[in-house]
Amino acid sequence: MARAALVTAMDGSPAGAAVVNLRGLVKRYGAATAVDGVDLAVRRGRMHGLIGPDGAGKSSLMKIVAGVLAHDGGTLEVFGQAVTSERSAERVKQRIGLMPQGLGQNLYAELSVEENIDFFARLRGVDEQALAARKRQLLAMTRLERFRERPMKNLSGGMKQKLGLVCTLIHEPELIILDEPTTGVDPVSRRDFWAILDGLVDERGLTALVSTAYMDEAARFATATMMLGGRVLAEGTPAGLLAALPATVVSVRCGEQVEAQRRLGAHFRDTMLRGAWLRTVVDAAPEEPASERARRAEARVREALAGLAVEALDTAAPDLEDLFIARAAPAGAPAPLPASAPAARRAWPPGYHAIEAHGLVRQFGDFRAVDQVSFTVKPGEIFGLLGANGAGKTTVIKMLNGIQPPTAGSGSVAGADMLRAPGQIKRRIGYMSQAFSLYLDLSVRENLRLFAAIYGVPRARRAARVHELLRLCDIQGIEDMLAGDLPMGRRQRLALACALVHEPEVVFLDEPTSGVDPVGRRRFWDILFHLARAEGVALLITTHYMSEAEQCDHISLMYAGRVVADASPEQLKAELGARRGALWAFDTSAPQAAVEALRDAGFADASLYGTSVHLLDPDGATLAARVAVALAPLGIAAGPPQRRPLSMEDVFVERVLELEREAAR
Amino acid sequence: MNPVLGWRGVLGRGLELVRKELLQLWRDRVLILFLLYVFTVDIYLAGSGLSFSLHNATIAVMDQDMSQASRELASRFQPPQFRRVPAPADPRAAQRQLDTGRSMVVMQIPPRFQADLGAGRPADVQYLVDSSNSVLGLLAGSHAAEIVGRYNLEQSAARLAAAGAGAGLPRVDNAQRALFNPNQNEAWFMGIAELLMLVTVFAIILPAVAAVREKERGTIEQLLVSPLRPLEILLPKVLAMTLVILAGVTLALAVVLRGVFDVPIRGSLPLFYAISALYVFTTSGIGLLLATIARNMAQVGMLAIMVLAPMMFLSGMWTPPEALAPPVRALMAVSPMHYYIDAGFGVLLKGMTLAELAPPLLAMTLLGALAFGAGLARFRRQFS
Repeated sequence: MARAALVTAMDGSPAGAAVVNLRGLVKRYGAATAVDGVDLAVRRGRMHGLIGPDGAGKSSLMKIVAGVLAHDGGTLEVFGQAVTSERSAERVKQRIGLMPQGLGQNLYAELSVEENIDFFARLRGVDEQALAARKRQLLAMTRLERFRERPMKNLSGGMKQKLGLVCTLIHEPELIILDEPTTGVDPVSRRDFWAILDGLVDERGLTALVSTAYMDEAARFATATMMLGGRVLAEGTPAGLLAALPATVVSVRCGEQVEAQRRLGAHFRDTMLRGAWLRTVVDAAPEEPASERARRAEARVREALAGLAVEALDTAAPDLEDLFIARAAPAGAPAPLPASAPAARRAWPPGYHAIEAHGLVRQFGDFRAVDQVSFTVKPGEIFGLLGANGAGKTTVIKMLNGIQPPTAGSGSVAGADMLRAPGQIKRRIGYMSQAFSLYLDLSVRENLRLFAAIYGVPRARRAARVHELLRLCDIQGIEDMLAGDLPMGRRQRLALACALVHEPEVVFLDEPTSGVDPVGRRRFWDILFHLARAEGVALLITTHYMSEAEQCDHISLMYAGRVVADASPEQLKAELGARRGALWAFDTSAPQAAVEALRDAGFADASLYGTSVHLLDPDGATLAARVAVALAPLGIAAGPPQRRPLSMEDVFVERVLELEREAAR
Repeated sequence: MNPVLGWRGVLGRGLELVRKELLQLWRDRVLILFLLYVFTVDIYLAGSGLSFSLHNATIAVMDQDMSQASRELASRFQPPQFRRVPAPADPRAAQRQLDTGRSMVVMQIPPRFQADLGAGRPADVQYLVDSSNSVLGLLAGSHAAEIVGRYNLEQSAARLAAAGAGAGLPRVDNAQRALFNPNQNEAWFMGIAELLMLVTVFAIILPAVAAVREKERGTIEQLLVSPLRPLEILLPKVLAMTLVILAGVTLALAVVLRGVFDVPIRGSLPLFYAISALYVFTTSGIGLLLATIARNMAQVGMLAIMVLAPMMFLSGMWTPPEALAPPVRALMAVSPMHYYIDAGFGVLLKGMTLAELAPPLLAMTLLGALAFGAGLARFRRQFS
């Protein structure tokens, strides 16, 4: 019944009436406008996504819809009732479930899983008999049954979010509002969370309004609204959104990367480095036929690179992040970075490694946080250290930084021995933490000056160095603003500048782009590439944005304290493709049911993305037929499978799931 | 590449960090206003608003004798200590007056009071004293006892004189001279006491707040990966906060203690500053210790209250050590504030010199060094 309702909703028939309807919604905090005239309609039975970086206005909007925040302008209708006062908000609240942002933010750390659920149920007046039944069902769906007795604080991030979801659903709301439920959750748990949510929305005919800061997750929603600065940038189905961007992504591998980047940057709106590749978004001319786009884009890129040796070239369709950037910064990227004199590049002896780690071990009591970790990073290389929370990334960085001595193993950083000369390491490296550890009550210049003094930059050199950094990091003209008053993107670049005051040869960046919008992230990566390619700085970076992992030259994937994969993103993806096959996507009339049927038929990694199904399969030729066989008993039709490029997220998730299966055996 | 810094470089770096602390404090307008308030208005209020003497205690006299003698006794309860309020009609009403706080003392003079006195029989009077504030209760009781005692003496003397034996009566005359604070001006004592207490409070709280703020913001991580040593991170904070507190002391001394209360500063002012600087510097170790335990500002606040309350009770400010039970007295010996109070009053009011103050100063330094050492050690352990 619920399924049928959903299917009709997908068709856009009247069954999908608006559960939430906003017109010109405005929310101000003092002088700042958080939500600036937003129109939005959330249809019954759909999963509606709000995508945008920190400060886009997502949380304010969701709180207003949930009736916990008053709005300053515009109209709001929930379940067809106008919400104009606190009293009218009270009337709809019982039919809404809200899960606020932050891992386990609305839960009680000291209470067990079951106690948390009971608390929320009693708060909502759920009768005991219904509670017992629902609890059983929801715990089964989220696979939390085994952890009933466990205190919430001892759950992993992903489990906390699943428990949060259970608590939000316990009073059987018709509309659930989830604020960034996947932020800070590792990719494996993230996929698991989406699968559970898809199942629940489908089974109960729920309407869901869900926000995320990960652009790639936009593909998971039936309808997605992209937001920036309190306004709507774009709205539609993922496919519809992409159709609205007539552009082609051209990737080239080219020997003279710095020169190639400069030229592409001068010709095209959005160019970024991805390891050995350069990725450029080429906008189509207005009257260009779609069939011609890829060919013409390729020609234009080749023309721009005339005279350079192009080793390989690839074209692809743009993704949702490209769309976001196209809408957020239509004028294109800011001025290119100052060309660095070749003299800035340091000379290294052959075979020199900026970072070497040999069999690093760190033991905390019985717990081995880091287990035999080895890797090397060359000068000028961007090295990505990936892994879920608790995989040991931070501990590795602390050991390399000389803050924590290793239990066993050895290594060197910037030519200084880790065990014998941690003091020397500290003088030669730069470090930027995820919190952008700046003094928010000091100005831009004061922050830079302070760190220059801390790192003993000679007084005579300080002013010149500060000036260089202001230019390199594109934070000129705001020298006297307090760091706390800067928007996230600039704050991040200031933190990077502070880590660079002493011209370190190795820079550690611990989740440096959390909370920064995609445009700001690209600008940041431009600076990183300049440092690596033009100045030969070695960069070790950790990130939970899988799209950023693709930009590294080299990746080490950590799992339970060990390095379980160590290669370039290209190699890792090629290896996954060789073992598991290509990634295929196809549309079906009933995607959730199709996913379940396909899983039963042996397509273990079938998963739902909005209205389409994704799966890995080695044999493209017979795939359509095998899918048809699996879906036939349910009477579900499937469109033709289309090949999609594998992502680092696929690599990460597959590798971790494999290891989990091994561990279970 | 950055060479290892020489001592000049290290000093320059340290001064830059002190500057940063002062700048951060300066930008925290709320804290600045609070500091200005406490070092002026708060000390003024403490000096003028607190008093240990009995003023205008309400007394109701239930005179059941209505004689000349009873009126004579009742009339001796006069301002400024006492204030007469209408008498209750019966014991029940008297009780109610006490319950509701309309009178603090009820004195009952029974019938036949004058008759008993005249006949040479012991005459009773009864007072009921509201001692919910034990200090005031005690004071009211003792003042009343003194008044009745004197009345008694005069009655006896008059009787003896009437009998012709008055000339040879033995008596002791009580001549009191108050030293150091001849008028027993409470503002002097309270003002100085409050100043010394505030110095203690801020010596603990300011460095703790400065350290925890870095912990909360995550900037501490940034400092730890830098070539700074733990001592180089902590010392500038303590130095900066010492400067700030000494500035507060200057303000309080100049504006309130000298300016308003006319406290004579009998000893050497530089000596007082030196002692205060040493005290702040060493006591800040307690603050740093708290900062290693607390995870955020709220926890710092709670821990500070927990530490400060016993420090103050055991400081000897309100009760001299001799009056305490031996185990408590032993505890007092480990409260650095106790020595600071001795030295502070010693210099400011008694004009004591460094040589005279050597023992408490030595003890204070020793305790402070221990606290500072413990704070530093814990900080090191926690972050490395």
